[in-house]
Amino acid sequence: MFEFFFKYPRSVYTRGHLALLGAWPTWMLVALIVAAAAGLAWLIRARLAQAAPVMQSWRAWVVWGLETLLAAILLVLLWQPAITVAELKPQQNIIAVLVDDSRSMGISEGGITREAQAVKTLEGGVLDGLNRSFQTRLYRVDDVPARIDNLAALRPAAPSTRLGDSLKQLSEETSDLPIGAVVLLSDGDDNSGGIAEDTLNALRARHIPVHTVGFGRERSEHDVELDDAVVAPRALADSRLAARITLHQRGYAGQKIELTVRDVSAGQPKILASRTVTLGAGGNLQVETLMFNIGGAGAKTLEIAAGPLAGEENTANNRLTRVVNVGSEPRRILYVEGEPRWEYKFIRQAEEDDRMVQIASIVRTTENKFYRQGLADLKELADGFPTRPEDLFVYQGLIIGSVNAGYFTPGQQELIRQFVDRRGGGLLMLGGQFALGDGDWNASPLTDLLPTVLPTQAGTFHREADPAHGTTHATAELAPAGVDSIITRLVDDPAANAAKWKKLPYLMDYEDPGIAKPGAAVLANMITPEGRTLPLLITENFGHGRTAIMATGGSWRWQMSSPLGDTAHDLFWQQLLRWLVSDTPGHVAASVPAQMLLDSGAITFTATVGDQQYNPARDAKVEAHILGPSGVSALVEMTPVPDSPGQFQAAWNAPKEGAYLTEITAQRADPATGVFKELGRDVLTFQRMDGVAENFHVEQNRALLEHLSAATGGQYWKPAELGKLAGAIPFSEAGVTVRETKDLWDLPLVFLVLVLLRFAEWWLRRKWGIV
Amino acid sequence: MKVARLVFAVFLMFSLSLGLALQREGYQDYGQGYGRRYYYEPGPNVPSEFYWSRLRYTSDYASGSSYGFHRYGGGGGWSRDYPKADNDCLIALRRLTHINSPSPLNVVDLDSDHIFDYPWIYAVQVNTWTFTEEEAKRLHDYLLKGGFLMVDDFHGTDDWEHFMAGMRMVLPDATVEDLKDADEIYHVLYDINEKFQIPSEVYVNTGRTYEKDGYVPKWRAIRNDHGRIMVAICANMHLGDAWEWADSPQYPEKFSGLAFRIVLNYIMYAMTH
Repeated sequence: MFEFFFKYPRSVYTRGHLALLGAWPTWMLVALIVAAAAGLAWLIRARLAQAAPVMQSWRAWVVWGLETLLAAILLVLLWQPAITVAELKPQQNIIAVLVDDSRSMGISEGGITREAQAVKTLEGGVLDGLNRSFQTRLYRVDDVPARIDNLAALRPAAPSTRLGDSLKQLSEETSDLPIGAVVLLSDGDDNSGGIAEDTLNALRARHIPVHTVGFGRERSEHDVELDDAVVAPRALADSRLAARITLHQRGYAGQKIELTVRDVSAGQPKILASRTVTLGAGGNLQVETLMFNIGGAGAKTLEIAAGPLAGEENTANNRLTRVVNVGSEPRRILYVEGEPRWEYKFIRQAEEDDRMVQIASIVRTTENKFYRQGLADLKELADGFPTRPEDLFVYQGLIIGSVNAGYFTPGQQELIRQFVDRRGGGLLMLGGQFALGDGDWNASPLTDLLPTVLPTQAGTFHREADPAHGTTHATAELAPAGVDSIITRLVDDPAANAAKWKKLPYLMDYEDPGIAKPGAAVLANMITPEGRTLPLLITENFGHGRTAIMATGGSWRWQMSSPLGDTAHDLFWQQLLRWLVSDTPGHVAASVPAQMLLDSGAITFTATVGDQQYNPARDAKVEAHILGPSGVSALVEMTPVPDSPGQFQAAWNAPKEGAYLTEITAQRADPATGVFKELGRDVLTFQRMDGVAENFHVEQNRALLEHLSAATGGQYWKPAELGKLAGAIPFSEAGVTVRETKDLWDLPLVFLVLVLLRFAEWWLRRKWGIV
Repeated sequence: MKVARLVFAVFLMFSLSLGLALQREGYQDYGQGYGRRYYYEPGPNVPSEFYWSRLRYTSDYASGSSYGFHRYGGGGGWSRDYPKADNDCLIALRRLTHINSPSPLNVVDLDSDHIFDYPWIYAVQVNTWTFTEEEAKRLHDYLLKGGFLMVDDFHGTDDWEHFMAGMRMVLPDATVEDLKDADEIYHVLYDINEKFQIPSEVYVNTGRTYEKDGYVPKWRAIRNDHGRIMVAICANMHLGDAWEWADSPQYPEKFSGLAFRIVLNYIMYAMTH
């Protein structure tokens, strides 16, 4: 239809440049158009008095407009409009025909695979059409492009697709060839996360248009697919973790599906959590959270699965795998309490059952006495709160209870800041009569560390006035941000959890913690006796660490006033304190960009190394000891990252599919003896999986194909339209070209417009009754 | 016969009037023969972190030593030495520790869930205590959830048996142990390395530190599964009298001094363990 009106293919217009071939200058054309418009206006105005009364209005100017337009078009035609466009020289250019041969092209739709459809299309005249004007080269593409002699060499079995990488490699390999265009036949299911900008730039630099031909259904009819599952890569033994699962479905709206988390590390898979959820609207992303206990220490492989449901077209995309490194070394928290109070006792009691978190504490029992508990040895905390970094930084978390800010010296307050900011520790401030605003923390140098802007006035702490009757009580409730928080999840089911929070016994006291800062998360609120809603539990990341406020000293009532056996109080405190310390790094903190390597073994280890005071250890010797499947073993020396003191990196390639355990050690030479002493070590896990990515996103990714063609000057084609491909391809600036000039004066559209203008004027005059 | 009835009626009225007078709130006879009385002004209920809470329970007639004081009886059973002993102890607590406790004395009952608002309770003459099934369960839950019970002022073999009869209703499988000097409860606030029998005010007139056949002081305890002491038992002793008589020139200071140190250690232990 386009070519019927416009005479040439669309690509001529998108790639060409308009020109006027007439010998007279362009300004003369403009002047004549203006003159024609003015002359017609003068003529109409002069005859307006003699015209019929109906024309003595805006109608006259409509007629003027139509006639002026007609005159303008005729004048333009006299100047010989044309379009100049680069055109491939016949038989001197190569068209690269790329056929995706990844496993997703083997999916059968309507009794024929996507790849078979592509072959059938090419053999149905497309290749012949191209061959008449160009040379063609056939390639199959998956991770890399590989030239093939004929279409029979295609096997849709490659475990992954990297269209961007393949196109970039093709561009590099054919740099000395006159590639006129690329024709890519694919379902667009790229496993590398999209087409990189440098790939597009490489194609643009050579002006190579990529024409994409999409295969496969753009929408599945019956399928459930897991899009992602986020699980913390590290955890303490026996931790409660959250798996945040994102899924979407087609054709099952309103139906129920079971989500499960299994530990598949051992021979016998073990279900850690399962929950039945109702599927939402088709195509919409749905996020569900499952809570589970990760169990004992070690490298854990988790399988997160949905369904399957009856009639699903693809069940291989119902499962995802994640790895978690479960540590066994207990974390230590320093708890400073300014007065004996029940909250202190019940927090300690809650931690008795958590073998992974230990609390060393100092409580001020009298004006001049302190009592220490949970000591590693008798010297610990013998001089009170630490004054040296190496004494404070042995802890992973710090709790400050009902203690006035003035109790800490300026040096100790700075140490607390460094504990969070530099060391990456967790700080929890509790409410109390000497805490937060009432403890003058609002005027301390640590205000920017806290997740709220503390009230400036005193008197923000309030006790239950009548505990015997409970008539003035403050109650807790879950805040929206706490719905999916691991800290506040007391019951697995989200709705039941919110109800559980509402049923918690009232608090024995509370303190107004002020307003949450931007970036802080209010996980729970409290309703005061006056009906005000105040933040109860607020968390925030600060520097390398994290801070929180629990604005009460009376949560112990959740333990004493709940039925015996109710775990809410203990679970809450265990989860809060684990959150406080779980991510606190050691002297060596190792990481990898992604723990799941799909179809590629390339991985980069990064380690941040700190000395005893957690300052960057620039001169450390850092090594990665890798153990993998089937006896894979390697020792890789890590090198300092320029401009990032204390950071070390190493690139490595995991050769085999399977789980890998990497221990990264850091040593430093003793300046006095020259002997290397260990600074610390860290363990991380990752897994290489091949052939899994092709199971996901199996619907045709038309958006990616359209983006690729649009960004390179090509065009997206449906298989049925490919008959016109051979006509569109010649207009390209790549390869060996010649610039052609094509007349536009004889476009069918021009004549149609001229006729329509005259017809429109006639029709209007007739309608107004003057002809 | 009429005269006898009249004499009996007058005697009965006199007895009842005396009983009612003694039960007026805050008044307590303070030492036979010394002619002193003690008046306790409860004051307003000030919100506190710590409430000194005395356990009010139903006494058992058959125990023989409480002379049938029921729940609201004065001078015996649950309220022995109340309120002066408790108040003296609370004054010492406020003076010598950093515990917030401005509230006046508190009495708690086992027939109400509000006992759970007070994780520390003190009970005396526990050889006379009796529990319904519901009360025993409430005290059982109270202790296992984290509450602390200190018992005092019962003496000899019979009293111990009666105390244990009640305790077995509360904690059927409880093991009672003798506390060693090295136990943390004797070092949490004061280092108490030497303990001795703390007598009642009877000592002033008799010089005897024991009552009945309770010759040897028993510093005992019941722990939970984690080793935390949840019931501290002061058997064959009367710490309450030692607090109450601390300002009497006749009652030796060494008994009161130890009694105060013991109870402050027990409270501090309850608030930290």
